[in-house]
Amino acid sequence: MKVNGFKLYAFCYLIFLYAPIILLPMFAFNDATVIAFPLTGFSTRWFEEMATQPTLHLAVKNSLFIAVTSAVLSTILGIFAARASTRYRFPFKAGIMGLIMLPLVLPEIIVAVSLLVVLLGLGVPLSLMTVILGHVLICTPFTIAILSSAFQSLDQSLEEAAYDLGETPASTFRLIILPLVMPGIISSLLISFTISLDEFIIAFFLAGTQPTLPVYIFSQFRFPQAVPVIMALGTILVCLSIVLLSIAEYFRRRGIARSGGKDTGGFL
Amino acid sequence: MTEKPTMIAFQDVHKYYGDYHALRGITATIRAGEFFSLLGPSGCGKTTLLRTIAGFEGIDRGVVMIDGKDMAGVPANKRPTNMVFQSYAIFPHMSVAENVGFGLRRAGLSKADLAARVGEALEMVGLKGYGARAAHALSGGQRQRVALARALILKPKVLLLDEPLSALDKKMREHMQVELIRLQRQVGITFILVTHDQEEALVMSDRIAVMFEGEIAQLADPETLYRRPNSRTVANFIGTMNFLPATVTSEMGGRIEIEAAGFGAMALEAAQAPGAVTGGEVSVGFRPETLTVLFDGQSAGDRESMATIEEVVYFGDMTYYDVRLDGTQSPVRISMRNVFGRPVLDIGTRTRVGWSPGAMVLFR
Repeated sequence: MKVNGFKLYAFCYLIFLYAPIILLPMFAFNDATVIAFPLTGFSTRWFEEMATQPTLHLAVKNSLFIAVTSAVLSTILGIFAARASTRYRFPFKAGIMGLIMLPLVLPEIIVAVSLLVVLLGLGVPLSLMTVILGHVLICTPFTIAILSSAFQSLDQSLEEAAYDLGETPASTFRLIILPLVMPGIISSLLISFTISLDEFIIAFFLAGTQPTLPVYIFSQFRFPQAVPVIMALGTILVCLSIVLLSIAEYFRRRGIARSGGKDTGGFL
Repeated sequence: MTEKPTMIAFQDVHKYYGDYHALRGITATIRAGEFFSLLGPSGCGKTTLLRTIAGFEGIDRGVVMIDGKDMAGVPANKRPTNMVFQSYAIFPHMSVAENVGFGLRRAGLSKADLAARVGEALEMVGLKGYGARAAHALSGGQRQRVALARALILKPKVLLLDEPLSALDKKMREHMQVELIRLQRQVGITFILVTHDQEEALVMSDRIAVMFEGEIAQLADPETLYRRPNSRTVANFIGTMNFLPATVTSEMGGRIEIEAAGFGAMALEAAQAPGAVTGGEVSVGFRPETLTVLFDGQSAGDRESMATIEEVVYFGDMTYYDVRLDGTQSPVRISMRNVFGRPVLDIGTRTRVGWSPGAMVLFR
């Protein structure tokens, strides 16, 4: 077989990208405390050990609460913004939408530091709520991007048709618009949940004394004996992320197919 | 025939989009039970006017009345009209039956009654037995029929059709034209069709309003519109019309005498000269089929002129001759049906052309 330069490049690229992730489950099921080859034997004891750590449980609980709340809030805000930007014309629309989308490209450390300064200045105590605030800020641009594509592929005359056939604007939204953008909403919820769940910087700055999962993982790396447990935890998180993102993409595509549109963009 | 009662009345209707004056004083009436068309090029305001009837567009000045009631402040969901959209707007997440029965959701019918009504409506549009199909799996023509059934099931006083046939291919379009005419006769309600296709409007309508730049240029039945257009713009938009310069020599008691290049002097009825013509530059217009290239031995019914053939376009059943009448600058088009045994003439042939003053229309 002739090895093409580009193929070689692509192969190396993929190895570089995914090899660390493949190593994760390998060491998670290895029964040695030291993270090194050769592997010494199969064991599930690191997974069992997770059950005995109360701080980990608290961190998981906190992170799930933050992720669910941020996902719901940012998706609701995303629905409003996406609907407004695709359906209505208003002054300074481009500027307003640009500002909302800005956190997408803004370094997170800047968002985190400036939020911290503002919150401390206002005298707001740091808590899970302040993390949620930060996460809603960075998740909303993603939800708008997903939901805009859902709203955009919606033919405006569908709404008018329902209205014409006797429905009120509210029942038209419930009967026609909501079912047709529902796949987009589900996809938006899942993606913002995933973003929030593994977000570190904002959580680190704004969580106060409460641990979140990424912050907890980072802190555990100081203790060599804790590393295999983190590998096990990482394995679970990788699987969870893949499942969630696949579901999200499935719903996004199905939504576009159902409303008869063409696939334009998306994240996967 | 007695005059049908008025179904829709526009009184000086104006509509602005920002600075753009989309409807400029529309005044017209549409009668109950007629097949009415709004015809015009894109951007002439015909769709906007249709949408003011449906209630999707508000108006800035004037009155829109439906069945004697002022529609100001009446929202689209409370108007006795239903619409067939250009994109059909079939709800993609519902079955055909759910789509068709959508408007009856609020009527509080029993399941059996609803199914019966839906079945009836589907049968009317020739889709009997399609109820269980998924809406997004239908062809263009079938979507069209579902949209029709969905709009007609509510038994509206007026059915509004926004370029309903423009997305279909030519054969399907011609088929649906006939279907729509049949359907309109069957249900007997007022149909208002928006189209940019003059042929479609002529074929289907009882009356047509030709619109340009937010105004109705002429409102008449198809034959009047074709034979007696009231302006050069209308004449050019509907079919082909030739124009030659002319001067008015006298006007007396409804008879107008003119001197036209290539034709000589002729007398016209007042109806042939829309807009009072008093002197100045006018032109005389005539359709290609109202002139006849005369072959040897044939005699004209009315008048004759001499001409030279400058261009010949052969169409199988028809031949188009561009001929220059003696004493004129530019050629005019004559369309001739190709009869068996009659030769197609060559470019440069001298020929006699037969015509009649009755087919002429005078334009300012």
